[in-house]
Amino acid sequence: MAKSTSKDAQALFHSLRSAYASTPTNLKIIDLYVGFAVFTALIQVVYMAVVGSFPFNSFLSGLLSCIGTAVLAVCLRIQVNKENKEFKDLAPERAFADFVLCNLVLHLVIMNFLG
Amino acid sequence: MPKLALFLILIHFLPFLCTSFSPENPSSRRVLVLLDDLALKSSHSVYFKSLQSRGFELDFKLADDPKIGLQRYGQYLYDGLILFCPTTERFGGSIDLAAILDFVDSGHDLIIAADNNASDLIREIATECGVDFDEDPAAMVIDHTSYAVSETEGDHTLIASDDFIKSNVLLGSEKIEAPVLFQGIGHSLSPANSLVLKVLSASPSAYSANPKSKLSSPPSLTGSAISLVSILQARNNARILISGSLVMFSNRFFRSGVQKAGTPTKHEKSGNEQFLTELSKWVFHERGHLKAVNIQHHKDGEADEPSMYRINDDLVYSVEIYEWSGRSWEPYVADDVQVQFYMMSPYVLKNLSTDKKGRYFTAFKVPDVYGVFQFKVEYQRLGYTSLSLSKQIPVRPYRHNEYERFIPAAYPYYGAAFSMMAGFFIFTAVHLYNK
Repeated sequence: MAKSTSKDAQALFHSLRSAYASTPTNLKIIDLYVGFAVFTALIQVVYMAVVGSFPFNSFLSGLLSCIGTAVLAVCLRIQVNKENKEFKDLAPERAFADFVLCNLVLHLVIMNFLG
Repeated sequence: MPKLALFLILIHFLPFLCTSFSPENPSSRRVLVLLDDLALKSSHSVYFKSLQSRGFELDFKLADDPKIGLQRYGQYLYDGLILFCPTTERFGGSIDLAAILDFVDSGHDLIIAADNNASDLIREIATECGVDFDEDPAAMVIDHTSYAVSETEGDHTLIASDDFIKSNVLLGSEKIEAPVLFQGIGHSLSPANSLVLKVLSASPSAYSANPKSKLSSPPSLTGSAISLVSILQARNNARILISGSLVMFSNRFFRSGVQKAGTPTKHEKSGNEQFLTELSKWVFHERGHLKAVNIQHHKDGEADEPSMYRINDDLVYSVEIYEWSGRSWEPYVADDVQVQFYMMSPYVLKNLSTDKKGRYFTAFKVPDVYGVFQFKVEYQRLGYTSLSLSKQIPVRPYRHNEYERFIPAAYPYYGAAFSMMAGFFIFTAVHLYNK
């Protein structure tokens, strides 16, 4: 029974990987970028748990900078995905311009809060 | 030039030429003495002489003199009032109960001596001061165990009492060895008045009754609830002395020897003179009158008083407290003066240390709370005038640029924020050139 479960899981991962292989490259780049941001956020959480929360504003801004980046990147990914019919009227150039503007605002706030 | 020098010298001596009362100088100088009978002036002369020798101008008047008055054109003519007129039903001139209460309410001092057969007027004044005399006009304080041994009097109304209040500021630092002779009416303190104090109380075996008639019902005043001499310091620092006996101020009692019943020691001289003289020094503000000047506070290491503190500042607070000795302001020395750093409740409560020259100081850290604070000194001690100082000071939080920068522990967070920015640039480049 357990063997069949692990086989099912293997089959699931396999089908997921083969399906992901057909994803366009620009979306894969965005995924990589999101993964990088989430990984940095996790490192900071572990560091805070070890060292303590003393410069708490610095911790918050470091963490929120990562989370904000990840969220904005996900938003961009939704908008530039050709298979997403919801945003088919929105030009990918416009979506990218929104992404850049939001990032500028995010990093301005982060720099103010970093201390 | 010589004229200018002369002028400067005269200016320098001007304070000594002025003899009028000033708030800086709390000593009462002019005292009105109201008497039933001018014979009291000679029979109580020792007490009056002790006041005069300390610089008081006594103005003796009969209580029903039609020309007496406490004030003229809204100015008080006297700084103190002595009522040695227990039987007076109404005063002459413009003085009445309300005038005397106004006199006290404006910060002046009062000595009342009643007696048995005290008039309703004197009783009313005493009631206003929180003291209720025995309602029976013929009642006297009788004590069959601690009376004064005497050859002529056998009804035990001449009491030798040594149950003094324990306070150096009220009775002087010198201990009163001999008992005090008392003959007169007893009183009780009104429970509603928290300012009035027993200075000389009767012994537990005393009671208040008419000595000439048989005791048919239990006496209303008994034991040490009977006060013989009481004092009151009003909230405006006016001081009042109330005694149930006029004769205790007399030369006869001052000079007579005293032997308390049941004790073998016979004192050459009763304690009356010492007791009443020391108490009059207190009543007329020659002792126990405090003033606080020169309240200062500043940041540790600076000299100027700031308009505002920041949270967690270190500050130094100091105040100078002096006691009036009758002639000059002497440094007041105590170890129980406290300062509060107060906003709705005291955030800091610290004892002040003193340099024994009148200066009290302490240093503390402003709490990590911002708002409008007050430095408060509330000093209320038995017999001393109350000090109530408060000074308001705002406390602000850190400014935006006052926070600590570049903390080593925060470098990973800085690194994360900057790597996110670098990541953004790289991602932008890759995203644009990947088309």
